[in-house]
Amino acid sequence: MPVGSIETINRRVMVKPDFEELVERHSAEIFAYVWRMLRETNDAEDCLQETFLRAFRSYSRVRTGTNYRAWLYKIATNTARSQWKRRKRSETYTIDLDPEMQADGASVIDRVEQKTLLVAVARAVEELPEQQRAALIMRKYQELSYAEIAAALECNEAAARANVYQAVKKLQTRLGVNGHVLRSAA
Amino acid sequence: MTPEFELDDKVAKVLDAVYAAPSERATKQAQVKLRRALMTARGKMVYYGYAPKTRVGPLFVAVNDRGLVALDFGLSEQEFVARVAQRTKATLVRSDDETGEALQQVQEYLAGRRTTFDLPLDMSTMSEFQRRVLNIALKIPRGKVLTYGDVAKAIGKPQASRAVGQALGHNPVPIVIPCHRVLGADGSLHGYSAGGGLQTKAWLLQLEGAVLPKMSE
Repeated sequence: MPVGSIETINRRVMVKPDFEELVERHSAEIFAYVWRMLRETNDAEDCLQETFLRAFRSYSRVRTGTNYRAWLYKIATNTARSQWKRRKRSETYTIDLDPEMQADGASVIDRVEQKTLLVAVARAVEELPEQQRAALIMRKYQELSYAEIAAALECNEAAARANVYQAVKKLQTRLGVNGHVLRSAA
Repeated sequence: MTPEFELDDKVAKVLDAVYAAPSERATKQAQVKLRRALMTARGKMVYYGYAPKTRVGPLFVAVNDRGLVALDFGLSEQEFVARVAQRTKATLVRSDDETGEALQQVQEYLAGRRTTFDLPLDMSTMSEFQRRVLNIALKIPRGKVLTYGDVAKAIGKPQASRAVGQALGHNPVPIVIPCHRVLGADGSLHGYSAGGGLQTKAWLLQLEGAVLPKMSE
């Protein structure tokens, strides 16, 4: 009797998780990701819902054994991107800071200054090309592997690495000791 | 390999503040809203699947959380999806899991290995009149036939043979709701609007061992 290859055996024993399980496992981190991308609570909530609805509709077409986490990040990145464009068109921009973060006993003036600085930095970050910004957030704050970032951005690992590198380099140049944002804010 | 480029401490600190994680409370709230949105979407979801090769051609079924909503054959996937989406006003999602049972039963039936169906039906998108007509059709046992006039009488509208024919002709779930067991008053097959037309109707009746009237040509 012929013996199946390891690959076919693996495919046979692999079971696609229930969609519910994906929601359970990944909704918090995907929310953190889109919140970081959009930094506005309502937009982030909408984006989270749209991401999982899109995922739900196409889940049956996803191959068993796919990296589901990277797949969700891919959908979240695309969803956040269209939301971002919509918002840019409406030209309003606010930054939501976590209320718990603001209530750290700092004086009102401190808090206003802190917020001004944060907004300045946030703006600098937003000037990064989208792929780079997304790659930076996924790597530095969401702790994805480069392989996962590559899958999420539909590029190869070298390109994922280069995106993070370029983002960090640009921020360092703009915001570092010689960068104008921090110097003028200091 | 590109080296990891390090930010100096000051930049890193500000960046960390910009990218601080959302609070646990905000996350919990977002998750609650997500679950609610998924539940609403699920109620409006229709799943479909198909068997590429059956005796009557490629056969499609669609189910929702209440039961079978559509069955059709001899058409393309796009046509089926468009038709069902229009009728149910729902999003169609391909799912072999959700449709597996219905497909299996229909295939067994067509292969002569099954004589009755055990499937919940969702008849909520039908008009009251069509529901009454199709409920009569559901009661015709395998191997037996009625005429359009018989069905019209059975629903208490003896003059409504033509409307009965219309209602049967628009049966969204042929085969499972056996509209093929209803014939013209003269015993002719009369009409069949599902794939394959009269030939399919004749074949189904033969499969069920009904005593076939002569094909009126």
